[in-house]
Amino acid sequence: MSQEIKSKLGFPGQWQETTLRIPDDEPPPWDPSYKFQTVNKAVPRVDAFAKVTGRATYTTDIRKPGLLYGRLLVSSHPSATIKSIDVSKAKALTGVKAVIALPIKEVRFVGQEIAAVAATSSQIADDALRLIKVEYDPRPFVVDVETARKEGAPLVFPKRAAQAPEGKSANVTPQRITKRGDIEAGFKRAEHILEGQFRTQVQTHSCLEPHAFTAEWEGDQLTVWASTQSTFSVRDELAQVFEISPSKVRVFSEYMGGGFGSKFGARASGKLAAMLAKEAKAPVCLIPSRKEEHLTHGNRPNSVQHFKMGVRNDGTITAMQLTSYGTGGIAGGAAATRPMLGLYRCPNKLAIDEDVFTHAGPARAFRAPGHPQGAFSLEQMVDMCAEKIGMDPLQIRLQNDPHTVRRAQMELGAKRIGWDRRNKTPGTQKGPIMRGLGMASSLWYNTGSAGAEILVKIHKDGRVEAFSGGQDIGTGIRTLIAQVVAEELGIPLQLLHVHIGDTQHPYAPGSGGSKTTPCVTPAARKAAFLAKQKLFDLARTLLKLEPKTPMIAQQSRIFSKADPKMSVDWAQLTRYLPNGILSVQATRAHNYAAYNNIIAGVQFAEVEVDTQTGLIRVLKIVAVHDCGLVLNKLTARSQVNGGVIQGISYALFEDRILDPRTGQMVNPNFEHYKIAGSREIPEIDAVLFDVYAGSNNTHALGLGEPTTVPTAAAIANAVYNATGARLFELPMTPDRVLKALAQRRSPQK
Amino acid sequence: MAEIQFLLNDRLIKTSSQEGLVLLDFVREHQRLTGTKIGCREGDCGACSVLIGTLEGEGVKYLPVTSCLFPLGRVHGMHVVTVEGLSKETLTPVQRAMVEHSGTQCGFCTPGFVVSMTGFALESSSVYQDDPRDAISGNICRCTGYKSIERALSEVSEQLQQKPQGSEQMAWLIEKGFVPPYFAGIPARLRAIPARRPAELTSSTSAPTVLLGGGSDLNVQRPEAIRDADVAFAQDYASTAIEEQDGFVYIGGAATMEDLNRSPLIAQTLPSIRAWMRLVASTPIRTIASIAGNLVNASPIGDVTILMLALGAEIELSAQHAQRWLPLEELYLGYKTLSKQQGEILSRLRFPSTTPQSRVNFEKVSKRTFLDIASVNAAMRLEVQGDIIQKARLSAGGVAPIPKLLRETSRWLVGQPLTGETALEAAQRAQSEVQPISDIRGSADYKRLLLRQLVMAHFAEATAIPVVKEALL
Ligand SMILES: Cc1cc2nc3c(=O)[nH]c(=O)nc-3n(C[C@@H](O)[C@@H](O)[C@H](O)COP(=O)(O)OP(=O)(O)OC[C@H]3O[C@@H](n4cnc5c(N)ncnc54)[C@H](O)[C@@H]3O)c2cc1C
Ligand code: FES
Ligand code: FES
Repeated sequence: MSQEIKSKLGFPGQWQETTLRIPDDEPPPWDPSYKFQTVNKAVPRVDAFAKVTGRATYTTDIRKPGLLYGRLLVSSHPSATIKSIDVSKAKALTGVKAVIALPIKEVRFVGQEIAAVAATSSQIADDALRLIKVEYDPRPFVVDVETARKEGAPLVFPKRAAQAPEGKSANVTPQRITKRGDIEAGFKRAEHILEGQFRTQVQTHSCLEPHAFTAEWEGDQLTVWASTQSTFSVRDELAQVFEISPSKVRVFSEYMGGGFGSKFGARASGKLAAMLAKEAKAPVCLIPSRKEEHLTHGNRPNSVQHFKMGVRNDGTITAMQLTSYGTGGIAGGAAATRPMLGLYRCPNKLAIDEDVFTHAGPARAFRAPGHPQGAFSLEQMVDMCAEKIGMDPLQIRLQNDPHTVRRAQMELGAKRIGWDRRNKTPGTQKGPIMRGLGMASSLWYNTGSAGAEILVKIHKDGRVEAFSGGQDIGTGIRTLIAQVVAEELGIPLQLLHVHIGDTQHPYAPGSGGSKTTPCVTPAARKAAFLAKQKLFDLARTLLKLEPKTPMIAQQSRIFSKADPKMSVDWAQLTRYLPNGILSVQATRAHNYAAYNNIIAGVQFAEVEVDTQTGLIRVLKIVAVHDCGLVLNKLTARSQVNGGVIQGISYALFEDRILDPRTGQMVNPNFEHYKIAGSREIPEIDAVLFDVYAGSNNTHALGLGEPTTVPTAAAIANAVYNATGARLFELPMTPDRVLKALAQRRSPQK
Repeated sequence: MAEIQFLLNDRLIKTSSQEGLVLLDFVREHQRLTGTKIGCREGDCGACSVLIGTLEGEGVKYLPVTSCLFPLGRVHGMHVVTVEGLSKETLTPVQRAMVEHSGTQCGFCTPGFVVSMTGFALESSSVYQDDPRDAISGNICRCTGYKSIERALSEVSEQLQQKPQGSEQMAWLIEKGFVPPYFAGIPARLRAIPARRPAELTSSTSAPTVLLGGGSDLNVQRPEAIRDADVAFAQDYASTAIEEQDGFVYIGGAATMEDLNRSPLIAQTLPSIRAWMRLVASTPIRTIASIAGNLVNASPIGDVTILMLALGAEIELSAQHAQRWLPLEELYLGYKTLSKQQGEILSRLRFPSTTPQSRVNFEKVSKRTFLDIASVNAAMRLEVQGDIIQKARLSAGGVAPIPKLLRETSRWLVGQPLTGETALEAAQRAQSEVQPISDIRGSADYKRLLLRQLVMAHFAEATAIPVVKEALL
């Protein structure tokens, strides 16, 4: 059963009356005239106390009686056949309680899991690893993407040999081709055709907490503590591996130290922890080292992108063509084409991409997969077009971008950064230090989907519990659930206690695609809304009101809409709860016809380039982002800052370097794999842009990923505006800056 | 094995655990205080930060260290403060500020930041005066973008404006809740811990003893070996004093980089020391890292090493019954090969005091400005009379297998006038003395170019002569 409601959607200046069809038991999305008490405010995290006192218990902190320490033996060869594994000496070592050798015949990257041990101390576990004898038969390998593409290159998956595309190695997957309109006609219509070749590096997730697992068996019941961004995927995968019912697996993740896309599923280390625990008949923790994190636990693939763009003198972009490839090691996922497919009105688009396998650790989803790479090329191409036709980069974007939200964001951001200060002619400043401004656009898709559930329990003492089996990856879902429930029930946040990270609680999706908030908060609001209806009934009975009397819950009171004096206090009312408790579980509905399905966003960068040393200093980023209705101004701002800093770090510092001669990672630590520190962070003006999106009852959309998409591109455009030298390769190291400057001075070289 | 006694938060700990065990493992595994986190075990993330308090005068001086590198044996007689030791039921002003400004996201880095910021509150010198963010230079956060943490820090910094100096400081900090009341009793409790009598250091003991300064190199290079080794601490055999005598500045063989950073004498002799030290490691690492360790580790880009080379340092090497002085540059024979005998301790070093005629400068360029190893670093010391250079020492790191004194260029500089041309020519000549290699810190060409810029920068900075900027490109 469903109802039709009229909703005012959009944002100031762009309101739109829309008819939404919503289920009967759903609260209508909040109206723009609604005065929020808790939602849409700057509310500190409800779990901050636990975090600042060190009492928040992460997987790495789980201490069970009799806990054993697990360690992994990983391949030291990039490619080899394993002739034999002898674990007998390790097994015999005193203190070793379990040894497991995986039944693998081939290793394809340095860091691949081969065996695992569990012992009474981490020292003994380390010693045991050294006693495992692995006989390798090393095979040729290739870690660099160019070499891997060439015919005759060592094959990562020899079985694919027959599938080699013509003239290429079988390491190359078949081309994925996406066509829109007529690309030839588009280029014909263009008055200028520009081309550029762009390269981006491999970035590792570098979550501060490693991919830790602790596992314990009681009979056939498996309990796992996991540093995960998807408790239910860990549960389901382990149930499958051990061929037991998901009901026999319980996964906890009350606190977890960052994921950024790399922490889905149990994967080898989760499975090994559980296998060790089973064999040892004792709880086992398995905590990867920083080196293993870099080698094994995910990365953002690199890319080589050839871009061709056609533009007319009036600023119309007529054709976009991107051919790209990249390597995610033994995994795919290198496509960088989505930004060019999703941004700009241009009707004629051609995107071709392929994955290239190399003997390196597998890529995993990483905050807006493919997007920072794709934006790096696309957004520089747009600037190049603008320069060619003598147009302002802001103007060309406004003209070609159909997205009303992003256009409004561009105008706002331009004002905040002082876009008129931009150099009219790049690279003409005097003096060794040059300053410039640049901008780039972002996009994201996820508006959430149906299915997430929340259980709300209201107790007779007035306290309210909310339960979700999902995890808080750091975005603050625990706090948002509390806020939404408190808002709906009209009670203060202090009455709320939210339980998360336990698969015995109701289902929540994995935190990927920036969808946790748009998936989970509507379920929370609905559960609270349904509970509130029951409280209204109770209140009407107490107040002797007609059954259908409209009621309001606000400021810890329940009262008649028509006669606010007919009122009962929250504390008083809950005392009358039959059985002392009211429990309601609700499921998030499907999406409604939203105001916007594509999340926008734009960033402006101001940089300073020291032309003597090549050092780039980012002075300021203005980041204008939308995520539907901003449910919490503090957590949302933190997401923006965090996305920006990862973008700066990607733009300037991070680079996983593999030695082509040995296949080893040269910088598997934080000493040489640098991520931005507090002193590298510029002023960040995080501007949050409320949109009444209407796709669900809280208007929430995602935010985590789009905030990191345009940063590197905006910085590159700013560097060009400062110096007149364009950087086609990431990271923009001093070395590369100086080369680009030299190139500009004497282009023949 | 000698018993180690120290205060861990408000408890007296007596343990006979391995002295080479890192403090982190003791705290987390033996004591089950899991608020202190592990992010890297190499001193680069600060998730494991704790404060160490040492008796100083009537009170206790607190400094942050990365517990993942700090050897347990070193904490004898100290007060170790973990996040658990800061608050019980109410939050400290630091914690409150972190909550209110949303300085925590996933929260894994948070205890480390809270500890560092508490160290900031406990600081009684002016080291953080220029920029409070120096107090968190050793902490990494992958989530928040640091902005919220910065806001929390500035709020704390504002509250601390009211803090009295000297002996009333601790009472004030306790009253305001920055630290719990038990801190007041710590000095007396530390004094009650008996001093440890170190074993005589010999070169012929059967199990080779590993000499540790702070362990900030050794515990990165081979932590497992150190854990299980017989260790001795430089602090037990050398002093941390920094003093002036007969025209020399003497630095004890156990003095740390932070001792150098905070020494009033050094501030007089080398007025820019703070600016330079900011570019070296982070506060917690400088608190651990000894100067002698930096010299003996012989990294070609050791920052203090490069500075000391230019200053004209000599080192005192002490064995059981013998002592000798050696010019620092003669210590380095080849890549990590030293003219030091097994068993010799670097007990002191000294360099000639600076005079009004001295011009000293240190420059460093790295990928990340803070907490990063140099791509190239360089130092210069000139003695000038009028406009003529009387003595010169120019050193450079990252451009050769050893930390390099540029002897030829230094020699050439003597007698030259202080002009832009001299700077250019010196930068040019320096090139012929170096053999940089391409590595992750940059290509060989890039390093050559950097060296040139750094030499020019020395002249611009230290001599205030107009170095023509255009000439740099
Ligand atoms: C995160 C991090 C960042 C860093 N950043 C920088 C930086 O920016 N610049 C820089 O220059 N360095 C940097 N370092 C390295 C620096 O901390 C070390 O070189 C430090 O100075 C070594 O001192 P230590 O006392 O910790 O040495 P240890 O590790 O204790 O010892 C190093 C070596 O010196 C020997 N030794 C120590 N003391 C003596 C003595 N008195 N006599 C004889 N031998 C002795 C030891 O036996 C050992 O061989 C960094 C280190 C880390 C972990
Ligand atoms: S764990 Fe990273 S600094 Fe100690
Ligand atoms: S909050 Fe996640 S690392 Fe800082």
